[in-house]
Amino acid sequence: MQTYRAPLRDMRFVLHELHADAPVLPGLEDFTPDVADAILEEAGKFCEERLLPLNAPGDEEGCRLENGVVRTPKGFPEAYKAFREGGWTAMGADPAFGGQGLPEGINKLVEEMICSANLSFGLYPGLSHGACQAIEGHASEALKAAYLPRMIDGTWSGTMCLTEAHCGTDLGLLRTRAVPRGDGSYAITGSKIFISAGDHDLTENIVHLVLARLPDAPKGVKGISLFLVPKILPRPDGTLGARNGVTCSALEHKMGIKASATCQMSFDDATGWLVGEPHKGMRAMFTMMNSERLSVGIQGLGAGEAAYQGAVAYAKERLQGRSLVGTKRPDLPADPILVHPDVRRMLMTIRAYNEGCRALGAWVARSLDVMEHHPDPAERRRAEDFSALMTPVVKALFTDLGFESASIGMQVYGGHGFIRDHGMEQYVRDARISMIYEGTNGIQALDLVGRKLPAHAGRYLRSFFHPVLAFLDEAIEDDDLAPLAQPLAKSFGALQLATAHIAQKGMKDPEEAGAAATEYLRLFGLVALGYVWLRSAKVAHTALRAGTDERDFYEAKLTTARFYMERILPQVAGLLAAVKSGKGAMMALDEAMF
Amino acid sequence: MTGIRKVAVIGAGVMGSGIAAHIANAGVPVLLMDIVPEGAADRNGLARGAVAGMLKAEPAAFMSPRAAKLVETLNLEDHLDRLREVDWIVEVVIERLDAKQALYRRIEAVRKPGTAVSSNTSTIPLDALVEGMPEAFAKDFLITHFFNPPRYMRLLEIVTGPRTDPALAATVADFADRRLGKSIVRCKDRPGFIANRLGIFWIQNAIAAADDLGVPVEEADAVMGRPFGIPKTGVFGLVDLVGLDLIPHTTRSLRAALPPEDAFHATFREMPLIARLIAEGYTGRKGKGGFYRLNREGGRKTKEAIDLGTGAYRPSAKVDLPELKEAKGPRAVLDLPGRVGDYAWRVMGPTLAYAAGLVGEASDDIAAIDEAMRLGYNWKWGPFELIDRIGGAFVAGRLAEDGCAVPPILAGLEGKTFYRVENGQRQVLTAGGEYQTLVRPEGVLRLEDIKLSAKPLLKNGSAALWDIGDGVTCFEFTSQANALDEQTMVLLGKAIKLVKAQYKALVIYNEGANFSVGANLGLALFAANIAAWGEIEKLVSLGQQTYGHLKYAPFPVVSAPSGMALGGGCEILLHSDAVQAHAESYIGLVEAGVGLVPAWGGCKEMLARWQGNPALPKGPMPAVAKVFETVSTATVAKSAQEARDLLFLRPEDGITMNRDRLLADAKARALAMVEGYAPPEPASLTLPGPSGALALRMAAEGFANRGIATAHDLVVAGELARVLSGGGADLLDTLDEDAILDLEREGFMRLVRTEATLERFESVIETGRPVRN
Repeated sequence: MQTYRAPLRDMRFVLHELHADAPVLPGLEDFTPDVADAILEEAGKFCEERLLPLNAPGDEEGCRLENGVVRTPKGFPEAYKAFREGGWTAMGADPAFGGQGLPEGINKLVEEMICSANLSFGLYPGLSHGACQAIEGHASEALKAAYLPRMIDGTWSGTMCLTEAHCGTDLGLLRTRAVPRGDGSYAITGSKIFISAGDHDLTENIVHLVLARLPDAPKGVKGISLFLVPKILPRPDGTLGARNGVTCSALEHKMGIKASATCQMSFDDATGWLVGEPHKGMRAMFTMMNSERLSVGIQGLGAGEAAYQGAVAYAKERLQGRSLVGTKRPDLPADPILVHPDVRRMLMTIRAYNEGCRALGAWVARSLDVMEHHPDPAERRRAEDFSALMTPVVKALFTDLGFESASIGMQVYGGHGFIRDHGMEQYVRDARISMIYEGTNGIQALDLVGRKLPAHAGRYLRSFFHPVLAFLDEAIEDDDLAPLAQPLAKSFGALQLATAHIAQKGMKDPEEAGAAATEYLRLFGLVALGYVWLRSAKVAHTALRAGTDERDFYEAKLTTARFYMERILPQVAGLLAAVKSGKGAMMALDEAMF
Repeated sequence: MTGIRKVAVIGAGVMGSGIAAHIANAGVPVLLMDIVPEGAADRNGLARGAVAGMLKAEPAAFMSPRAAKLVETLNLEDHLDRLREVDWIVEVVIERLDAKQALYRRIEAVRKPGTAVSSNTSTIPLDALVEGMPEAFAKDFLITHFFNPPRYMRLLEIVTGPRTDPALAATVADFADRRLGKSIVRCKDRPGFIANRLGIFWIQNAIAAADDLGVPVEEADAVMGRPFGIPKTGVFGLVDLVGLDLIPHTTRSLRAALPPEDAFHATFREMPLIARLIAEGYTGRKGKGGFYRLNREGGRKTKEAIDLGTGAYRPSAKVDLPELKEAKGPRAVLDLPGRVGDYAWRVMGPTLAYAAGLVGEASDDIAAIDEAMRLGYNWKWGPFELIDRIGGAFVAGRLAEDGCAVPPILAGLEGKTFYRVENGQRQVLTAGGEYQTLVRPEGVLRLEDIKLSAKPLLKNGSAALWDIGDGVTCFEFTSQANALDEQTMVLLGKAIKLVKAQYKALVIYNEGANFSVGANLGLALFAANIAAWGEIEKLVSLGQQTYGHLKYAPFPVVSAPSGMALGGGCEILLHSDAVQAHAESYIGLVEAGVGLVPAWGGCKEMLARWQGNPALPKGPMPAVAKVFETVSTATVAKSAQEARDLLFLRPEDGITMNRDRLLADAKARALAMVEGYAPPEPASLTLPGPSGALALRMAAEGFANRGIATAHDLVVAGELARVLSGGGADLLDTLDEDAILDLEREGFMRLVRTEATLERFESVIETGRPVRN
């Protein structure tokens, strides 16, 4: 049995306490702490009561392709209907088209809950949300008016059709064609694979956003345009008309997220409309990339939280052996395994990852809100720099740690984690994809060292390094925080060294940057988590000093912060050594020796 | 004739007045004469107007206002007899044989015997010019062909006739070389000489090929530019720069003068588009625009370019040719499939063939033809150097493929190259098929030559130290744009130790376009972005210490800048015992522009220089105010002469006019200082303290109130005022050098932590100029 309770207390902590000094942004005044709490509570309830119960059965049953139509597992259509009627599809969307304009800071927390409870389910509305953003940002007013209200109210859903059999990471190779019909529409022909929510029975229509080439397109990524291609063509009055030339030709057989329909799609002279300018399709994709990649990172966190809760429950009830320092529960035939240091290590590790990622994710999500709503252009630019920098870090770090956490969670169960009964192995299988899609984590690392580091002579870095150093300087002077601040200061120095090293070496030899990328990203991520842990510790200390009736909560924060600084952050030293060792051993072996 | 002490220039048009100005730049008095226009109130008006115009011109024709005073503005009717005073008469009048000869007869009546007379004609053969002139005139006559603008273009083509007195020609050439700083290329008496004959051929060919192949002008310029080592103006941009009207004019006279079998005729075609543009006033940058123009309609500046097909302006498109970016070198571009490669060959194939055909025709000397194109058209490589890079067999093969005649010298290459290095010496192929060692004129020393046969004494990624003979070493910056970084300082420190132990003197010199543009801002910005404040401060200290060691080293140090010496590049001059500057040196402490104060001892040295200046009133304040005025406005001297006025150079520092002679002059100066050398005494400074700083800040606020200074300028000025006034110093204290260095460093570190300073860094790196914030 999978168990899950939305971690509302910790969510309130990152939302209200960690960023208590941040000003309320114009346009977001309605989302007071009370409103936010009510939303989180409602979302938690929905996830616990409606989505969690479908998670394991959905995995067992999977999706089926019947007569060219995809059937989601039992209960999914009903749950989706409730989800839609609850207004959840409209939550993060533009109020101009019927959305609720929820700040990303809150939205990402809701996403986390959904991902913990039922990642497969979450992908359907998640993909829709991304498609809506691309349409909002780039489509003509007519397309927006015709499609956005239905997509936002959830009666229609959306997809992103990028990948083809021969091109994933390198979209410059794609072959799907778009031929102008002369009436403003285009005929789209080609095949796409790995299309999440490509077809299903949750909504009455599906709106595909398809990357394709126009006849006069330049080669490579500069010749790709974006098209809107509905499954069913709406009539001018908005009612559904003829079936468009879009079909799901097969479902992919895959390791996890089995209740999510991952489709092969055929476009055969399908009618579509251009979104944005010709040949500028990649630009339209990139505008939603930061938010999308952050969302995939959040999937990692969702898996980690679910794994933690499952592991804790088992560690408390599973009785095996006795404590190393003597019997703890003489009334029982054996002590709960929670008494063992190594089990503690596992649980503390996941906990430190989860709470750290939640705090860091909230910081990045807030920067997306600042980008959108802050009145000062300098602040908006800083936030833009910051989110550009942190997007690859969050995506890769969170999903790596999420998978690691799911695996640790399974480990706590021993053999009972490996069999299906407890649902722990499903978390492992489901979490694995998030390291791959939306840009593999290797690509994220390349993005970080190849694009984000050198941009504007390192300006993006300023948005992270300056506030962190300023806070460290302050924390080191604080007697309570100094023991936590000192190891972080050391790691921060290592991050500076690694950054300078890559900037120097990588400028001369891109392979050096490529060879250091993955370790560097992890190093960066660990320091970033260290920073939010130090900030969390400061909040906890302040609360404890002021007096609180939640001593347990804040003391646990401090202990987890200490665990992070003492047991996880030291990995930075090893990562720095690896970064500095260069590409030599990696590239030396002759190709024939592989 | 013994030497040239005074010169007359006849004809006060653009070229004549520019030549006169440049002769004045050499410190030589000039008589500038032109006709008296009918009914003119001011009979010297043409010459006077030309000088007045040049005083306002950008880039400046004069190196200093003093030079302008050396030009006497006269006219040909009242002052012809004053030609008696001069040793050289330069004729720069209209390109008409009859007009020129009529003038020569008038000159002949008054000039003293042995006075050199030269024509700046670009197309009329010498033979024709002296035809029918007396023997005495022909003996003293030659062609001196300057390039526009005369101050900046280093090429001087000289043509002598069979009757020209070789000694007289040598005197003129020597004057042009040493005093005017020109590189002399001797040409045969053939139309267009070398540079324009080949250059115009190339331009004509490039325009026609673009037209034929439908290549947009931007693309043509991108293909012609960087890959072939040609300035980024390419060909259309170049024509805009020199003036569209020049093209039909020069083409016409070349066609008239060249024999019918010359390949020049084959590439000629009528260009109705150019004729129309000229007629409508689109004569290039001097007119309303040319192939490119800035459209200011609607209050916005839009760069536009001509569509060669329709002849209409359209918005200029950024060239986006990844294959061109990736192609390394000219051969790779010629190999590109499609329009880019086709265009490159259609232009350069015939051009290189034409160049090869000029051997024996315009000059016997392959190296001279290359030199003419390098200095007359600013090509990085001359045509024969280009052929070596592309491969002689490739060029010959493709010419043959096209059914073109392969010039004999190219056909006879047989795998050889035009240049080779043999026993550390550069050799060039002669028309006879033998290699001949290239010999530099006496008094010319080039580091590039030394490098052919030597290994550096010391070297790292940013600098190198060379033995240049006679116990003298040369410290060379080798980084991108000669920007200074930690590595530069580390190697300079090592160099000082090595010279102290084993050598007599140190020259700081390099052969880059610029001596140094100062500290590497990109590295500094990156370090600042990752908050590596400790590293930044360490580098500031390291520079201060290293420059200090340089100043107090027990051997003479001579810096020899050419081009820009800015920021840290200026500060190294300030710490040298002597400077031998190329006349075209642009020196300044520009730190304030990027939101900093000079912190490698620049403030300290400038204070010491101005305090030691007897021309200033007594008291600590005048020197401080002078330095503040220069440094807070990031003033850059626009010539070595101007740098003297600002005390970036001292009166005793030397100026070399000819770039090629700079190293030899600097070396000689260093050697002259070796005997009895003693390092300078440290300065001690009396500074006005906080009250002085207050006065400077108020002055800066005055500028801000008038809208000249920005908010961050005031912050920077405040820090500079603090440094220059001695921080918290009391009027009675004297401060030593270290105290000023501490103030420089503190001010620098406070400024580098401000967001506004980092924004300026970023804008300089990305756009080349600091944002005004």
